[in-house]
Amino acid sequence: MKRLAGWMLATPATLMIALLLVLPVAATIGMTFGAPGAGTWGVAQPYADFFTSGFRRRVLWRTFEVAGWVTVISLAGGLVTAYVVSRCPPRVKSILIVLAVFPLLTGVVVRSFAWLVLLGRQGMVNNVLQWSGVTDAPVAMLYTQGAVIVAMVYIFVPLMVLVLVGVLENIPEDLLQASSSLGAGPVASFLQVTLPLAVPGLIVGAVLVFTASFTSYATPHLLGGTRQMMMGTLLHQQAMVAFDWPGAAVVAAIMLVVIVATVLLMTRLARRMNPMTT
Amino acid sequence: MSTRIHPVLIFFTVLIYIFLLGPLVIIFGAALSDTTYLTFPPQGLTLRWFENIWNISAFRRTIVTSLQMAFLGTFIALIIGIPAAYALNRHRVTLPASLSTLFVLPILVPEIVIGFSLLRSVTVEAGVPVWYALLIGHTLLVLPYVIRVVSASLASFDFSIEEAAISLGSPPAKTFFTIVLPNIRSGMIAAFILSFITSINDVSISLFLTGPGISTLPIQLLAHMEQFFDPTIASVSVVLMLLTILVMVIVERTLGLAIVAK
Amino acid sequence: MTQPLIIENITAHYGTTKVLENLSLSVAEGELVSLLGASGCGKTTTLRLVAGFLQPTSGTITLGPKNLTRLAAHQRDIGLVFQNYALFPHLTVRENVAFGLKQRKFGGTERLKRASAMLDRVGLAHLADRLPGELSGGQKQRVALARALVIEPPLLMFDEPLSNLDAKLRVDMRVEIRQLQRANGTTALYVTHDQEEAFSISDRVAIMHQGRIMQLDTPEVLYQKPANAFVANFVGFENLLALSVTARDGALVTAQTGDGALMTLSQDQLGAIPDRFLLATRADGLQVTTDPAAPGLTATLGLRTYLGRAYQYQAKAGALALVANGPLSQPLDQGAVVTLTPNPEQCAILAPE
Repeated sequence: MKRLAGWMLATPATLMIALLLVLPVAATIGMTFGAPGAGTWGVAQPYADFFTSGFRRRVLWRTFEVAGWVTVISLAGGLVTAYVVSRCPPRVKSILIVLAVFPLLTGVVVRSFAWLVLLGRQGMVNNVLQWSGVTDAPVAMLYTQGAVIVAMVYIFVPLMVLVLVGVLENIPEDLLQASSSLGAGPVASFLQVTLPLAVPGLIVGAVLVFTASFTSYATPHLLGGTRQMMMGTLLHQQAMVAFDWPGAAVVAAIMLVVIVATVLLMTRLARRMNPMTT
Repeated sequence: MSTRIHPVLIFFTVLIYIFLLGPLVIIFGAALSDTTYLTFPPQGLTLRWFENIWNISAFRRTIVTSLQMAFLGTFIALIIGIPAAYALNRHRVTLPASLSTLFVLPILVPEIVIGFSLLRSVTVEAGVPVWYALLIGHTLLVLPYVIRVVSASLASFDFSIEEAAISLGSPPAKTFFTIVLPNIRSGMIAAFILSFITSINDVSISLFLTGPGISTLPIQLLAHMEQFFDPTIASVSVVLMLLTILVMVIVERTLGLAIVAK
Repeated sequence: MTQPLIIENITAHYGTTKVLENLSLSVAEGELVSLLGASGCGKTTTLRLVAGFLQPTSGTITLGPKNLTRLAAHQRDIGLVFQNYALFPHLTVRENVAFGLKQRKFGGTERLKRASAMLDRVGLAHLADRLPGELSGGQKQRVALARALVIEPPLLMFDEPLSNLDAKLRVDMRVEIRQLQRANGTTALYVTHDQEEAFSISDRVAIMHQGRIMQLDTPEVLYQKPANAFVANFVGFENLLALSVTARDGALVTAQTGDGALMTLSQDQLGAIPDRFLLATRADGLQVTTDPAAPGLTATLGLRTYLGRAYQYQAKAGALALVANGPLSQPLDQGAVVTLTPNPEQCAILAPE
């Protein structure tokens, strides 16, 4: 009876996800294995097409590169900010958290658009550069890898700050007091107590930012255009412009594999490194 | 903590916050500029770009669609997500652990992959009309947030209260509505707000599911940006930010913002 | 090595609320003093001020020749044992114990030697390579103790160190703490809300209330001769009678309650009795007799409960509600009219409120 009740309550959500998510995504993956005997590579022909294309290989590599940089920079910026925020007096802390939440609740399109305005030929960055005499003519900054990275860091730093503030606040105050009562100064305490205990949380934050930037669409679309195509924009281009659906499905499958592998690997690593759970 | 923070760290943090908030201030300025191109600082002040939002019919229509998707999608997700979250917490023993993994899938699978897959299976193969396909996409998008936030709130719910009510003669179904739901109210409100904001800002799923005459506001913004570079975009952005501020104020007044930070 | 701790006229605030007012306390070399009181009485605040986690609004704290008042926490050289042990979860037991030595720039082999020797002393040498998560509560407490002792601090402080242990272990651990502290001769400040723990372990106990020390004395004096109504109540004097003297006859004093009931007391046994005073007794200190001629208060018995060693009665003498114990040999029923005689050895004379 109880068993039945549990299942009945969970059924609508289970059905919805199974039928409208698992099935369609499985169909997409299935599509990448094409018809048997097609092309020289048989069922793996769409993958062969992907990896023999220098352009697509470059897109995949660029996506790794951009997501990697965005993760590293957000991690560094986020950690320092989160450290300061977590040590502020309660009032200041809550204001700083609200200021970090606000950009997070503002849409990705709006936030990417801000950088479109800033980095354009008539944009403020160019105006400042020319006014200060660093350059004479406007520098082309849009549609470069740097622009995509800066805008993505901008988008993901608030997320990282919030995650890491949570992580740092979870470290019991007692431990830091114990550390200082045993003679460790602020730097020694940070390096020997705070940082080792924050590593699992840092991994979680890094995974969040890496996967989100690896699969993002709006930011590379607006600031990278076709010149700095990434996996997200490539998927859209293949599906909606070139109408090459098997090609798009391969992009989707590769993204899925990278994301799932990253998440599984990293959460396992984070769990192993977490001393709190043993 | 009373320990002092090193001034270099404070300086760095201030820079990060300028980096985070500066661009948003610039959008505000650009939206007020009395020029036909985007610029900052604004040259002359005007509100005509805000009027322009309403004058462009594409914006008018997509704002309505976006609101429909956000309200309906969130509503449906709450209706099917709350029982699922309840089952996961209350009947943990009898349900397989894989079920909670299933409920995380919509977060794990990249949105853009979900969007593309829904386009193929739901819109093209099953022939579901665009508006409904879009609604399915938005419901899927927010369902895991609903389940997760409500679960978190149920995890701290003391189920012996429910048992007390039942032992006092309240039927189980009625107990759910009179005892359980009121006690997870803040979780439900948080789930609603988080879902609503996620839905209204979504690009990656909607990207594939919009069709002739039916689009959402973020997609329309992207399309508009490709053709025009006038301050209308900035003014739409300002309106969206003002809405966000409004939501944050409401959240702060009702629940405290700590909930969103989770 | 070991040093006296002197706290002088400390006032402290949390925000705008004053939590300590003009508190002074000194702990002699090698002495163990407990701060005892309910939560919110200021005992933990006092400890945190000495540790350097809080800054006093005014006053000074000195440890031997060293003025601690404005020193950063990590420069104070105090061994601190926390309520939740506060072991570093990512370090092994040995690394936890060696942590303070590492901060003091001891070499690797010296650190290892000292940490191992200390773990031997607390009987945990066999667990040296475990992580704290794998230990029981009592073992964690020993590691915390070893970690605080190994740096050979001039002052040890304990913040409710036993409150997370079960009753049996609590008794064992407090003996062990006392032995280690005695053996090292280290000055110690011990915070607890448990009266038995404080009395059993301390040379002197400070009973605190609302940010002030109500009485600082040896456990024996506190237990038998509380200085005021608060302390009397705290150490278990159930009955407080407000009395005023009506007649004096040599050492004998006749006093009456608010209701006009009279009783006779002897100054030979109780010390000087002022004209108005409070008589404090425990339930054991009020003898129940059925002899109507006995000196004392006439009372009517109420509910009787069984304590094992005696019967306890809720009694009424006029408007006064009293608690008294009677012998097992003679159970009395509700409604019995008796005389309650204070036993001078278990009474204290206090100044009126």
